[in-house]
Amino acid sequence: MLAVVLAGAVLAGLIFLGKPLHSEKVSKNESKSFSGNYQNSSDIDLRNSSGVIKEAKAIPVYGNWHNFTMKDGLPSDKAYTVRIDGDRVLVGTHDGLAVYENEKWHTYTTKDGLAHNGVVSIDVNELTGDVWIGTLGGLTRWSSGKFTTFNQFNSGLPNDLVYCVFCDGKDVWTATGGGAGHYDTQTGLWEIFTEQNAPMHEPWTYGVSAGGGKVYIAAWGGGMIEYDNTTKRFRDYVDPDGFMEIDLQPDDGIVHDITTATSYSDSIIWISTYFGMSRYDGKNWKGYFKTDSGLASNFINFLRAEGRVVFVCCDNGLSSTDGTTWVTYKKDDNSENGKAIITNGNEKKEIPLSPSISHNFIIGVDAKDDVIWVATSKGVSRGEMIR
Amino acid sequence: MKIHIRFFSVFALVFLSMSELVPGQEKKVNYGNIPDELVAYDRYQKAYIYHFLEPIQFYGAGREKLPPADLKEVRIGFLGPLEGSVILPLGMQMLQGTMLAIEEANKKGGYKGIPYKLMIHNDVGLWGAAANEVVKMDDEKVWAFIGTIDDNNSHVALRATLKLEILNINTGDPDPTYTETNIPWGIRNIPDDRQSGYVLVDRIFRQDKHSRIAVMRANSRYGRVGILHFNRSATRVGYPIIIEERFSDGETDFKAQLERIKKTSPDAIVLWGNAKESALILKQIRELGMNQPVYGSDRMVSPEFLSIAGNSAEGIVTTCQYNPDANDPKLKAFKTNYLKRFGQEPDVFAAHAYDGTNMLIEAIQKVGLNRVRIRDILTDMKTFQGYQGVTGKVIFDATWNNIRPIFMAEVKNGKFNFSPSPSLEKSDMIYKKPKSGYSY
Repeated sequence: MLAVVLAGAVLAGLIFLGKPLHSEKVSKNESKSFSGNYQNSSDIDLRNSSGVIKEAKAIPVYGNWHNFTMKDGLPSDKAYTVRIDGDRVLVGTHDGLAVYENEKWHTYTTKDGLAHNGVVSIDVNELTGDVWIGTLGGLTRWSSGKFTTFNQFNSGLPNDLVYCVFCDGKDVWTATGGGAGHYDTQTGLWEIFTEQNAPMHEPWTYGVSAGGGKVYIAAWGGGMIEYDNTTKRFRDYVDPDGFMEIDLQPDDGIVHDITTATSYSDSIIWISTYFGMSRYDGKNWKGYFKTDSGLASNFINFLRAEGRVVFVCCDNGLSSTDGTTWVTYKKDDNSENGKAIITNGNEKKEIPLSPSISHNFIIGVDAKDDVIWVATSKGVSRGEMIR
Repeated sequence: MKIHIRFFSVFALVFLSMSELVPGQEKKVNYGNIPDELVAYDRYQKAYIYHFLEPIQFYGAGREKLPPADLKEVRIGFLGPLEGSVILPLGMQMLQGTMLAIEEANKKGGYKGIPYKLMIHNDVGLWGAAANEVVKMDDEKVWAFIGTIDDNNSHVALRATLKLEILNINTGDPDPTYTETNIPWGIRNIPDDRQSGYVLVDRIFRQDKHSRIAVMRANSRYGRVGILHFNRSATRVGYPIIIEERFSDGETDFKAQLERIKKTSPDAIVLWGNAKESALILKQIRELGMNQPVYGSDRMVSPEFLSIAGNSAEGIVTTCQYNPDANDPKLKAFKTNYLKRFGQEPDVFAAHAYDGTNMLIEAIQKVGLNRVRIRDILTDMKTFQGYQGVTGKVIFDATWNNIRPIFMAEVKNGKFNFSPSPSLEKSDMIYKKPKSGYSY
C-alpha cells in the first residue's frame, strides 16, 4: 500500500513537471490537438496538417456528428445494430426496430409482427429488397410491408437468438447460439451447421458474412469457419497456439478463438474477437491489438468492412483502418464532445470533435458513400465524411 | 532534467511492480493459479500477448437508470438442469441452495421491504435453449441470475448476458473457459477445473510418484474440457498420458475400454465424469483385477458415488472445491438449515449457489436495483474480494474466477475425508521454475 502511495506521489511529481508519461518516441511526433476554436471538425483544413494527417487521407475521417436517442424518437437508447438501406436507415434497438426516413423515426415492434422487440442484426437482400431482421426471439423477414417470422419451431432456424443475419444473393445466413443456419430463399430449404457437420468445436456461432464465393462464420471458441459455396466444404481457422490465455506469436493466425464477427471486402477477411482483431488476405495473417496499433480496445463487439477500410466496434470507441492508418473516434467522459485520433505507426494526431459520437460502447456500424451510422450503448450517431 | 525524470520513472515503476495488481489476493500468482512450470510455452519463449492480467471493464451505459417506482418484487433469475438432464440431482441441489438464500433474505425484510422472487428456468434443451431462457429472464426484468452447471449451457447463456446486460453468477460450472471469454458479465464463485488439474498433477506425479497414467473420461464437454489442463500439465512435467478412453453418460458396461487400459499397465487411473458412471467404472476396474490407485474429478464427491461404488471406493482420491466438514459456524448453520428445509445434506452445488446468491443479495443491498451497478460492485475486485461464504473465501483472479485453494478428498472407511490441497509453489523437480511471463 505504502509502495503504491509513494509511487503515485512520484508520478504526480512527474506530471507536475509537465512531462508527458508516454514514450518520447510518441511525444516527439505528436502534434498538439487543433486549437479550441473548432466547434465542428469539418472546419479543419487537412491540407495544412502534418504527415500523419495526410496519410489519413487514405481512409475517411468523419465529423459533423448528429446523435439520436429516445428524445429524438428512438424506442430505446440501447442500439444493437444499424443498416443503411437506400434513403432510409434501419436501427435495431432493445425495444424495437427504428426506421429513419425523411428525418423522422418510426418504430416497429411485435405488435407489427416482429419476432421479438430486441433487434440485434439487420441485413437487406440486394436482389429482392427484403429486410432480414435477427432478433432475440427469432428471425423476421420484412417484405412488401409484411413481417414473417422464422423460429425454431416453424423453420430450420437453429436457435431463436439470432446474433447475426447476412444476405448473400438468394441465400440468407444466420449465426445463432445453436449453430449457423442457411436458408435458400428460392427453394425454401434450411440447412443447419453445427459441430456435428462442420469443423466447429461447439455449435455456438455469433457472426457471419460472405464474399468471394465463401461464407465466413465467427464460431465462439472455434475461430473462423469458412464455407466454400462451390465445393460445399468447410475449413476452420483457429488460434495456432491453442491457448486461451496467450497469443504466442504475432501474425501467426487468428488472434483468438473467441470470435465475434467477420467481414469480407476487397479480397480481405477481417475477424473480430474480444482479444483483438485479425486480417487475412488468403495467404498472410496480421493481428492487431490495442498495444500495437490504433485500435480503441481489444474488446470488439462487431466489425464491418467497406472497400479496403474496416470499421471496428470496440467497447471503448469506434476505430477504422486500412491496416496501416487508424482513425479512432472517442467521446469525452463528461461532455458531448470528443476526438478523432489518427494513428500511423508511432505518429499520432488528435482532432477535436463537437459533438462526438453518442457513446463509446459501440455495437454496430454501417457506412455508405459519405455517411456513417453508428449504434451505441446509448443512442445512434450519424457522421459525415469531412474530407 | 531528463536523467532525473528517468530516475524517478524507474523508481516509480519499481514501487508499482511490487504492489499486487489484482487487489485482495494474498500473494502474487500466475493467471489461473498456473504453477510456474506449467505456464504454456514458457520454457521456450515468452508469449507476444498475455491475456487476463487485469480485469476487463464494462464501458457501456446504464448506470444512470432508475428502478421502476412501483416494484412489487425483486426478481432474481435461476438457470439450471431441472428437467430431462443426467445431472438433474445437481441442479436440484443448486436450486435449493439458491432458494434457501432467498428465503433467508426475505425473512430479513428483502430489499427495502420488497421481497426477492426467484424466476426459475430449466437450461436443458437442444440448440442453445439456455440463450432463449436468458432472453426470457430479460423479459421478466430479473436483476441478475444464478447458474448453471453444464458448460454448454453456461457458455450459451454467458454470450446472451453480454447482449442483454444481466450479470450471471456462475456457481456450478468448473469449465475454465467460462471466465476466459472476456465477457464482463459473468463471475464464478466455484473454483475451476484448472485448480483440480494442477493439484492432481502434484499429487499423482510428485507426491505419489506415478508416471504411467491412464485417463477414462466422459465423452462430453465436461469430460473433454475438464481433463484438458490435467492432460496438458502431465505432459509438461514429463509424463504424458499413456491412454485416454471415453464413455457416454448413461453407459453401464465399460469393460471394453477398461480392457484396453489394462493392456497398457498403467501405474494409476484418473476418472473424469459424473458420479454414477464413475462409480460403475470403479467397480468394474476392481472386477477386472486392476488394483491401481484411482483418482478422480470432484463430481465423485457425492453420496450417490459412495452408494454405487461400495467397498471399491476405498482409497479413491479426488478433488473438492471446498471442505464440507470444515469447523466453520457459518457452514454448520447452513448445513443444519438446509437439512431442515429440504431433508437432505447439501452438496457442493447447493453450497456454492447459497454463497453466490448471498453475494448477489448483498450487492443489491449495497448499490440498489441497477444491473450495471450490481455488475460493477461484484467485479470491482474490492468489495467481494475475500468474501467469506460457507464454502470458504472468494479470491477472484482477473477473470473473476475463484482461485482459492481447493481440497483433496479421500475415501476412508466408506467416507470422504477432506484435507487441504498441496501448495503449488514447490522447489523440487516439478515446480522448480521461479519466474514466468505470468508472474505479477
